[in-house]
Amino acid sequence: MEDQRTGWLDWFSRRLGLTEIFSLLTSYGFFHAELDHRKEPRAALTEALSRPMPSYAQWPRVLGLLALILVGVLGFTGVLLTLYYTPTPEGAHSSTATILGEVHFGGFVYQVHYWGAQLLIAVLLVRVVRFFLQGVYRAPRELVWVCAALTLLVAFHSELTGRVLPWTGDGYWSGVRALEVVQAIPVYGSMAAFFSGTQGVAISELTLLRFYIFHIAAFPILLLLLIYLHFSSVRRVGLDPSGEKVREQVGLKEHLVNLAIVLTGLVGVLVTLGILAPQFLPAAADPYATLPGVSPPWYLLAPFGLFELTAGWLPRWVAGSILLIATTAFVFAPFLLGRFDGKNSRGLLIGLACLALATWIALTVYGADVS
Amino acid sequence: MPARIRLLPACLWFLVLASPLLGAEGKCGLCHPQEQVLAKDSVHASEGIGCAGCHGGDPTTVDEAAAHGDGFQALTDRREIPRACATCHADQEMMRPYNLPVGQYALYQTSQHGKALARGDDRAAVCTDCHGLHEVRRADSPRSPVNIRNVGTTCGRCHGDRVLMERYGHDADVLADYEESVHGRAVSDGNLGAPTCINCHGVHGATPPGVGDLDKVCGNCHTQTRQAFLDGPHHEAMAAANLPECQSCHSNHAIERFGFADLRVLCSECHDEGSEAVGVGLEMQTLVVGAVSAIDRAEQLTVEAERVPLNVEDHLARLTEARTQITESLSLMHAVSVEPVDAVARRARSIGDEVHHELTVKMDRTNAYIGLAVFWFYLAVTLAILFVYKRRLARQRVSR
Repeated sequence: MEDQRTGWLDWFSRRLGLTEIFSLLTSYGFFHAELDHRKEPRAALTEALSRPMPSYAQWPRVLGLLALILVGVLGFTGVLLTLYYTPTPEGAHSSTATILGEVHFGGFVYQVHYWGAQLLIAVLLVRVVRFFLQGVYRAPRELVWVCAALTLLVAFHSELTGRVLPWTGDGYWSGVRALEVVQAIPVYGSMAAFFSGTQGVAISELTLLRFYIFHIAAFPILLLLLIYLHFSSVRRVGLDPSGEKVREQVGLKEHLVNLAIVLTGLVGVLVTLGILAPQFLPAAADPYATLPGVSPPWYLLAPFGLFELTAGWLPRWVAGSILLIATTAFVFAPFLLGRFDGKNSRGLLIGLACLALATWIALTVYGADVS
Repeated sequence: MPARIRLLPACLWFLVLASPLLGAEGKCGLCHPQEQVLAKDSVHASEGIGCAGCHGGDPTTVDEAAAHGDGFQALTDRREIPRACATCHADQEMMRPYNLPVGQYALYQTSQHGKALARGDDRAAVCTDCHGLHEVRRADSPRSPVNIRNVGTTCGRCHGDRVLMERYGHDADVLADYEESVHGRAVSDGNLGAPTCINCHGVHGATPPGVGDLDKVCGNCHTQTRQAFLDGPHHEAMAAANLPECQSCHSNHAIERFGFADLRVLCSECHDEGSEAVGVGLEMQTLVVGAVSAIDRAEQLTVEAERVPLNVEDHLARLTEARTQITESLSLMHAVSVEPVDAVARRARSIGDEVHHELTVKMDRTNAYIGLAVFWFYLAVTLAILFVYKRRLARQRVSR
């Protein structure tokens, strides 16, 4: 007969390979400590919790952690939204209206999902800037940069597909404007059109369904894969470019408390934004009546501005090629910057980056103005 | 080559070019091409009725004397036209397949137009003035001058002509007045059920309704209003004073939706300003205006609620019902009795108030703000506990 006085952890460990499950989390990167498989779970956890943390995983390096929590929040709220959402042109808007107006806490979940997405993109952008300024792209951390850049691009794609799903006039025509930009990019544009099932830049029933699948399955899987690659690379090479020096012997337990503080603060911000700045649902889209004055998403305003600026004297595909080259250069920057990143040329590099950023902002302003 | 042979290809070529003018049954178009072209588009041509159907004669010959011979009528005298049209249009056997009435000619003779014509006034309107001459089209064709959309303009060609109307002492502003009226605007906005000239004056028997008949004419559409008017004191009083019934308050062609702002002025035209009668009018006005503003207020809130979004279909349906009751109360006002108006207007007002209240409760964000405050309280407590725990862990680390 089993001993009833033992704790729940022992009860589970007699029935499940708990250390294996923890090891799975550890190997993914959620739990930064190695577990000794040979020991009992309680002993293995106690040992892991008392182990000091490497400096690169400590406070204030929270941007990646914030992004991970936001992905979790978006996943959770997204699953709840799918329970009521209907991905058809006839049902998309009305089902979103049902979520917002009739389902208990549906509006709250919708608002948290919306603001979570906006915060995720903001956090990923700031993170890329931090990586650049602190040199987290130099060898051996090239992949850390590539993963961060790709994560940002996937987040843009996810936001774009997500804004079309409620089938509002603004979302629909913003999506059409975005497709006009994307389809001007050589190779990638035609691939995107093929996978989205678009005819020209029109968003059909098929496109809506594809966008839904991308939004709830393809892009989340890609995000998780990139997060795993990022964790894996960080665990191999560390995040702190100044080396593996340990500033303080902070234990994992203390680190988890820090994580809980960040999580609590983030939930507070999301809930507050959701209640104080709720997003209303505009009227349903009418694909046969162009809504005037609708811009592409803000992150595509710069390419849109470039196309408008060069219209008439530069073929569309050439402008699209410039965009393709710029994006590729952004993702694979570590392999291109190596020769310019000496001690003497660091100022030049930052100057070039500022110039690129200023160009991007100027084109964004121009794009917003002409649209 | 002999001249006759050289001429042959030219004649053949002429025939080919002129063939569209020859028509299905005749050669009238060779001499009357304009009329032939106009007639080709007419409803008569589509039914196989050619020139000879109205004019007689022989359409198969190009010889003028023969063509204008047996049974020919030029119909250049306007006075002959109604009778010529009636040859077919008063014939029950001929009109039955088209489901057309045959009484138009008889009605026309009772109309002011028909009577004037009978007196020998050849300026009086005849069939072709309204229906078109050779290009007569079906009334449901948008190009037909008697299509509902075009009736006002068609009547206005004569009744808006100052020189012509002066001869008869008629007002030439009727078309302009009608187009500005609630009826005229409804037609131009695409409401083909709204009345045009013919709904009040008659079609072929066009005659202005006289005093004593006005309420019957308006009552054809405004049934409930007429019944209330007959139940009220105005009917008998106006008949006694020989005042035109509806027109006295609403005007005739320039009919507008009743403006409540002017009610006191309007009533005071016949009643003393401080009289009981004016008081009754103003009391009814207060009731209806109150109900309308309650409905407007609720309707405005539904627009905001839709943006949230809340499902407001039920609320909108109830507000439509309330608007119907407002229309009913406006009809009942013609009985000049406060009680029935009060009953209906109160129902309409209560619907407006109910909808407004329900939406206000649904849209109230107070609970959300209270919830947020409570949430932040617990969040602050949680953060405080976490910070205390973190400090304790740090202290333990330092002491180790």
